[in-house]
Amino acid sequence: MIAQLTKSERQSALVILLALAVVGLAMAAGGRHDPFGVHGAIVLLAAILGIFGVISGYYAPEPSPDRLDSYYDSPTKFGIIVAMVWAVIGMAVGDWVAWLLAYPEWTFDAAWASFGRLRPVHTSGVIFGFGGNALIATSFYVMQRTTRARLPDQLTPWFVLFGYNLFCIIAATGYLMGVTQSREYAEPEWYADIWLVIVWVTYFILYMRVLARRQEPHIYVANWYYLAFILVVAMLHIVNNLAMPISWGSAKSYSLFSGVQDAMTQWWYGHNAVAFFLTSGFLGMMYYYMPKRAGRPIYSYRMSIISFWGITFFYMWAGSHHLHYTALPQWVQSLGMTFSVMLLVPSWVSAGNALMTLNGAWHKVRDDATLRFMMVAAVFYGLTTFEGSFMAIRPVNSLSHYTDWTIGHVHAGALGWVAMITFGAIYASVPWLWKRESMYSAKLVEVHFWLALAGTVIYVFAMWNSGIIQGLMWRTYNESGTLAYSFVDSLVAMHPYYIARAVGGAFFLLGAIIGFYNILMTIRSAPSVETQNAADFPVTGPAAAPALQPGE
Amino acid sequence: MFGFHYRLESKSIGLVLAIVGVASIGGIVEIAPLFTIHQTVEAAPNMRVYTPLELAGRNIYIREGCYACHSQMIRTLRDEVERYGPYSLAVESKYDHPHLWGSKRTGPDLARLGEKYSDEWHVAHMINPRAVVPESVMPAYAWLARTELRTDDLGDHLNAERRVGVPYTDDMIANATADAYGQAAPDSPAADGVTKRYGKATTVRAFDGKPNELTEMDALVAYLQILGRLTDAAHKPVATAEKQP
Amino acid sequence: MTITHDLLVWLSKSFGLFYLIGLSLIVLVYTYWPANQKPFEHAAQAILDDDDKPYRG
Repeated sequence: MIAQLTKSERQSALVILLALAVVGLAMAAGGRHDPFGVHGAIVLLAAILGIFGVISGYYAPEPSPDRLDSYYDSPTKFGIIVAMVWAVIGMAVGDWVAWLLAYPEWTFDAAWASFGRLRPVHTSGVIFGFGGNALIATSFYVMQRTTRARLPDQLTPWFVLFGYNLFCIIAATGYLMGVTQSREYAEPEWYADIWLVIVWVTYFILYMRVLARRQEPHIYVANWYYLAFILVVAMLHIVNNLAMPISWGSAKSYSLFSGVQDAMTQWWYGHNAVAFFLTSGFLGMMYYYMPKRAGRPIYSYRMSIISFWGITFFYMWAGSHHLHYTALPQWVQSLGMTFSVMLLVPSWVSAGNALMTLNGAWHKVRDDATLRFMMVAAVFYGLTTFEGSFMAIRPVNSLSHYTDWTIGHVHAGALGWVAMITFGAIYASVPWLWKRESMYSAKLVEVHFWLALAGTVIYVFAMWNSGIIQGLMWRTYNESGTLAYSFVDSLVAMHPYYIARAVGGAFFLLGAIIGFYNILMTIRSAPSVETQNAADFPVTGPAAAPALQPGE
Repeated sequence: MFGFHYRLESKSIGLVLAIVGVASIGGIVEIAPLFTIHQTVEAAPNMRVYTPLELAGRNIYIREGCYACHSQMIRTLRDEVERYGPYSLAVESKYDHPHLWGSKRTGPDLARLGEKYSDEWHVAHMINPRAVVPESVMPAYAWLARTELRTDDLGDHLNAERRVGVPYTDDMIANATADAYGQAAPDSPAADGVTKRYGKATTVRAFDGKPNELTEMDALVAYLQILGRLTDAAHKPVATAEKQP
Repeated sequence: MTITHDLLVWLSKSFGLFYLIGLSLIVLVYTYWPANQKPFEHAAQAILDDDDKPYRG
């Protein structure tokens, strides 16, 4: 890997890592009585490992100028493998905490093993670890192909990937030590948040540099979605994480906002993390990999643009539907509800556009589990967005809110849409990236597909049932006009569904493990002789050549 | 050639600006007016701030992820009011940095938990939830009773809270550590300082049953016992200006 | 003039509506502008081209 960097890039890498080591050392010293110090030690260790890595390859010959004739895919390969590692970790922890809700004694009297600390390891592990790495990796792949330009240098993509994963590790280890802001899906504390901003701005600049080098005046729509993902996530992240640390040597901080403003800011963030992390980014993925795999262009390019602006605009208003009937002013609740319902239009336009793209390629969907992953993802996207709009209606929300129905809804989206489209994209790109004829085993892809689908269906049905039963029991009155069930009654009724949910999750986890095995075996298998696509190169014509000498 | 690339550059920057513009308006329109909401919300002049011990307990509540299964927000629905108590008002969480309204009730709502159960009940429940509620699926938090509470940085906590707008006085900040001890040791000289600074109604008790030890259990129980009791605004008959038709 | 809560709420409600209508119009005009059709179709096809000719400005 170091051999792929130019001399000056190796030097820059050393400078960055040394700076990181100094920061880590300062954190470790300043926070020696606090989890903050542990994180300093982790940062220091990561930097030292990186320095050793760079030094060991420092005197390797410089990469040949021929590299500029091909796309730079090593970061994508790395990102996909790391994404699968996080998938297995995140889903395993998720299934474990699902069992904890059925068998609460399994916490061994240890603080780190309790539900409250493990849950964010699951949510961050799958959303940021699995989803985020998959998004970054595929965006590198897609941005190069659609602009027909190679990444501008060899260092920046690695900085983004390693920096992002350092953030994920800080986050996950922090939760186990009890470091959390308590903001759902934004739990990491202030220093991790600052680091993510640095990484994210670098990512954004990298994307803009590639776009600036593109060979077509029009920017392909997948890049719009990826760009919205990068930009808006940055905006949400910064505003939602504004906080006052108690000192420079402590992990703890206090949110700048309080009460109702804080709740609104949090759910403005929370809902738009769904929109721009889990929807926009993965739509970008879909708009490249699905047409490519099906061998057909998008059904309607215009519709993809209209739905892009619809999603970008409508989602931002919808966050307040998380706060129906609360102390949030009612006009904000009504606005949130209205826009949530309108959101169905661009969402279904996107889902319909995806499915219509497959028209004429249904025989491929039947035979090819990879394409079928993408097709099912589009179906679940349509179902989940309908369900979401429905649940945002105030009277429906009065029943569904606070119950397992929400959990079911989230997982219909996370398992059915996000994970399925990601697995589809990964199965499509692994043979392309490693120059293999196909995946190691098409049968195992098939097995994974059915495990994932069965797991999702079991999970979602279990949570629909438990959620609706819960919601109804809480509001049922008996003849004398008093509440019919105690809270504990509803808890007892949940037990069988909690077991069913954990079984469904286990199916899904097993599928991911099989998928990871299949990917590793594909990489280990012998490369095919002539799969290298003749045209899978960036354009290095006279127009582009002068710009292709970064850092030299 | 410069012109050609410049045009491309300006196009992608235009796209960036358009995305940022389109995406930010919704949030601004919905959130900005909330920062003037104090003009419409009924004031609660007698509302007090969290004591250092309660604040430490609140931070344990956050640290252990309690908010993932317990809400602190009673909605304006009949069954919720009958099950949990008067619905929550915006003013009640005005000192909550961050808010802990929650989004899920794997366990019951806790907005009005304060003084509903005895300290002994809470301690027993934390050590083993199934000892008092056989059907409970809550994890056991027995180690809280064995862990000494960290108090040396409580002044920093209060100071940070003051910077974000909670009215802690210099006196409160200077005595934060002593007050944390005093609130859980009713017979100690430090106990008087707590009621002096935070009001006579402040609960001063050996929350975990051991007055000579200050544990995380003390802090957490002190916090649970103040939930919903910083102000009595929600119990007044007038519902507040917030409840619009 | 002081910024009151009522003023902000009024602004939010009225401006939001006009903004919604205006933005929809802009997007629709852009999407259906006849001159834009060619680059759109080209872009949709281009990702499938395995041996497409590089674009030369």
